[in-house]
Amino acid sequence: MKPAPEAARSGGATSIAELELRAVLDAAVDAVIIIDSGGMIETFSRAAERLFGYSSAEVVGRNASMLMPEPFRSQHDGYINHHIRTGEKRIIGKGREVVAQRRDGSLFPVSLAVGRIEGVDPPRFVGFIHDITDRKRVVEALRRERDRAQAYLDLAEVMLLALDANGTISLVNRKGCEILGWPEDELVGRNWFDTCLPADLRADVRSMFARFFDGTASPAQYAEHDVLTRGGERKLIAWRNVLLRDERGLVSGTLSSGEDITEQRNAIEALRNSEQLLRDAQSIANLGNYETTLPDGPADWSAQMYAILGTDPADGPLTLKAYVERCVHPDDRARFMSAWHRLVDEREPLDVEYRIVRPDGSSHYVHSIGRIAQGDHGLLQVVGTLHDITDRKRAEEESRQAQDRLTQFSRLSTMGEMAAGLAHEINQPLTAIANYAQALQRMLAAPQGADPDDVTLALEQISAQALRAGEVIRRLRSFVKNREAKTEIVDPARLISDLLVFAEPDARLNDIRLQVEHGDALPPVACDPVQIQQVLLNLIRNAIDATIEAGTPSRRIVLRARLDDDGAVEVSVEDRGTGISPEVAENLGNPFFTTKAAGTGLGIAISRSILRAHGGRLAHRATPGGGATVFFTLPAMPWSEK
Amino acid sequence: MKEKPATVFVVDDDEAVRTSLRLLLKSVGLPVETFASAQEFLDQFDPDRAGCLVLDIRMPGMSGLELQQHLNDRHSIMPVVFITGHGDVPMAVEAMQAGAVDFIQKPFRDQDLIDRINRALEKDREMRSQLRERDEIRRRMSQLTPREREVLELVTQGKANKVIAGDLNVSQRTVEIHRARVMEKMGANSLAHLVRMVIEAHREG
Repeated sequence: MKPAPEAARSGGATSIAELELRAVLDAAVDAVIIIDSGGMIETFSRAAERLFGYSSAEVVGRNASMLMPEPFRSQHDGYINHHIRTGEKRIIGKGREVVAQRRDGSLFPVSLAVGRIEGVDPPRFVGFIHDITDRKRVVEALRRERDRAQAYLDLAEVMLLALDANGTISLVNRKGCEILGWPEDELVGRNWFDTCLPADLRADVRSMFARFFDGTASPAQYAEHDVLTRGGERKLIAWRNVLLRDERGLVSGTLSSGEDITEQRNAIEALRNSEQLLRDAQSIANLGNYETTLPDGPADWSAQMYAILGTDPADGPLTLKAYVERCVHPDDRARFMSAWHRLVDEREPLDVEYRIVRPDGSSHYVHSIGRIAQGDHGLLQVVGTLHDITDRKRAEEESRQAQDRLTQFSRLSTMGEMAAGLAHEINQPLTAIANYAQALQRMLAAPQGADPDDVTLALEQISAQALRAGEVIRRLRSFVKNREAKTEIVDPARLISDLLVFAEPDARLNDIRLQVEHGDALPPVACDPVQIQQVLLNLIRNAIDATIEAGTPSRRIVLRARLDDDGAVEVSVEDRGTGISPEVAENLGNPFFTTKAAGTGLGIAISRSILRAHGGRLAHRATPGGGATVFFTLPAMPWSEK
Repeated sequence: MKEKPATVFVVDDDEAVRTSLRLLLKSVGLPVETFASAQEFLDQFDPDRAGCLVLDIRMPGMSGLELQQHLNDRHSIMPVVFITGHGDVPMAVEAMQAGAVDFIQKPFRDQDLIDRINRALEKDREMRSQLRERDEIRRRMSQLTPREREVLELVTQGKANKVIAGDLNVSQRTVEIHRARVMEKMGANSLAHLVRMVIEAHREG
C-alpha cells in the first residue's frame, strides 16, 4: 500500500485515525470518493482508481463532475448547491444507478450511494460507487430471455396458463387473453376457477386440479372442458397439463396449454347433425344412396340401403354380382343389368325401376338413379340412389283401380243411356230370325211345298242374323266388361267406324243422322281403343241430347277426324244443338256437374282423365251457325310404327 | 179400272227385317212389296191400290210417323200397322192418334203380325167398298136436276110433301112426281135408304 498523496499534501500531520480510515477506504471493494461542498474531490480510494482509471493524484482537487458524462456533468454542481441551500435530499441516503465515465472516456453503469458527512462546515460528502456493469448485463440477459420466452408464449396459437397451488393465475399468454377476453394485467393474480370457469364446472375442475397436487390423478391426461370468457360466453378448450415443481421437487403449480376447439366442436356437431339429418331424411323418404367404384367395388352404402334391401349392415355392401343374385327380382334382373351396362359402357344415366326381393321373401318396388363420377384416385365410380317406391306403386295401383272402376261405372252409365238404341240394334236381327224361322215353318207345312230358293235364303239369313246379333253383344260385352287398360296402335278412322255400332241406333232412334267425314288418311295413334271409344260415345251421347233439346230442324251430328295444326289427331263431334253456355263451360269436367236430369256428371270428367293419360286433351268450340263442337286430340305416331 | 189384289207394303230400312217379312208374308200367300225408305214408298204411292202398310216406326231420313202424316195429307185410306222397337211406346201412341190401325213390337210372333195385317186388309176392303158406294151415290146425285136436288134436300130433312109444295110454291102433285124421280135416280128403295145415302155422300173424303 503506498502512502496516500493527499496525506502528504495536508502537511504530513497524519493521525492514526486518518491512517485507519485510509486503510479502510483502500480495502473497500466499492470505490469511495469524498468531495467538499464545492464538489471538489478530496479523497479517491484505491478501488476508485481502479474503477475510473485515474490515479488519486490526477483527480484530487478537481471537480467530481469529471467522473460522469453529460448531462450529469453539467448538472452536478447544481445538485450540490441546491442541497446545501435547501437541505433537500435527492441522492443522499439513497442508492441510485447512474452512468460514470472512465478516464478513457468509456461509460459504465454504477450504483451510487451518497452520504453527507455531519459535523463539518461547509459540508462534505462521501460517495460509494459500485460498478454494476456485470449485474446489469445479467439482468439485461435475463430480461431479454424473459421477453423471448414471453414472445414464444405469445406466438403460440394455444392458451398457456400457469396456476399456483391456490389456482391463482401466475401466467397467461396473449392467446389466452384473447380467448378469455381479459387484458393480461387484469387476469394475472386472479383465481382461475372463480374467474374463468362456468359455475357448473367449477367444483369438478377444482377437484381434478386438487388431485394433480395430491398425486391421485395424472396431469398429463387430455381433458376438454368449457371456459367462461369475460363476456360470459362459453368456449370449449382442449387441455394438456404439466405440473410445475419447486427445487425440493414438490408440486408448486400447473402449466397448461389449452386449445380453443369450440369451432371444431361446432363443426363436428354440425356434421353429426347433418349426418343424422341425412339418415333421418333417407329413412323418411325410404331412399338410400350408394357409391360403387368400378368395375365392382369397393362400395359404400348408406344405412337406408340396408333397410330397403333388408340385408344386414354388418355384412356391408354387396358386390354387383351378389346384389343381382340376392336382391334383384329374377324377372327384373335382365332389365336391371342392361340399364347398368348402358350406364357403365355408354355413360347413359341410370334411371330404372325394378323389384327387389328381401331375405324374408317379400318383394318391393325400387327406383334407382345413378351416374358415373370421378372418385378418389381418379377411379370411376357409380354414384346413385335407391328409392323404395313400393308405397307409391301401391297407391298408383289403387288409384288406377279406382279410376278403372269409375271409368267402368261411367261406361255402364253411358251404355245405359245408349240402351234403347242398342236394344233396337239387337232386336233387328232377332226379329229377322224369328220371321225367317216362322216363314220356313209355314212354307214347309204348306200343301204345295216350299220354294227351295226361299228355304235356302231363310236358312242363310237365320245364321247370318244370329251372327249379327252375336257381334253386337260381343262388342257390347267388350265395351262394358271390367278390363285392364291396354294400348294398341290403331287407325283413327277405324276407331270411329267401330263405334258406330253403338252410336248409330241411338241417333236413329232420335231421328238424328250421324255423319262420318273422313279426310285424308291419318297417322295411327297409340291408345286404348275401348277407352277412347268410351270418350267418343260419351261425346256423341251429349251431342244427341243437345240436338233433342234444341229441337232444331238440322238433326245431324258430324264426326270428323283430322290432323290439327300441331300434328296431333283431332276427333271432333259437331252438333247443331243448344251449344255450351259460358257457365256450363266453366264447370265442364267438374265431377258430378251435370245439366242432365239423369246424368252422373262423370262423363266429361272421366273423358278428360282418359285423354290426359293418353297425352291428349279434350276441348270444345262453338259450331259456326249454332251448336257445339267437342273434340279431343291424341298424339300421332310416326307412320312407320303402324 | 182393273183392280190389283190387295198388297202388303213393307217399309223398313233394315234389309234383314225387310226380306224376312217378305218371305214370311209370302209364306202365308200375301202379296208383298218392300221398300227401304219412306221416300221410296211415297214416290210410287198409288192411292187406288188396295192393301195395307207395314211401317217401321223409326228410320233414318223420313220416319214412319212422318210418312203417315204425308199419307194423311193425301187423304190416303190405307191402313197402317206400325212395327215398333222396345221403348217406342210413346211414338206408337202418337201413331195411333194419327189414325194407325195397330202396332206391333219387335220381335213378334208371326201370327200376331199376320192377324194384324189381315185386320188391316179387311179394314182396307171395307173402306174401299164404302168409298165405292159413296162414289156411286155422288154419281147418282150428280144426275139430279136442280129442282130434284131441292126436293131431295127437303125430303131428307123429313118434311111432308104438302110442306115442301108450300116451300117451293108448287103443287103437291109436282112434289110427288119429283120425289118419285129422285127415288128412282138414286136407286133408293125407301126414305130411310135415301137419307143414309145423303149422309154418306156428305161424308168427308
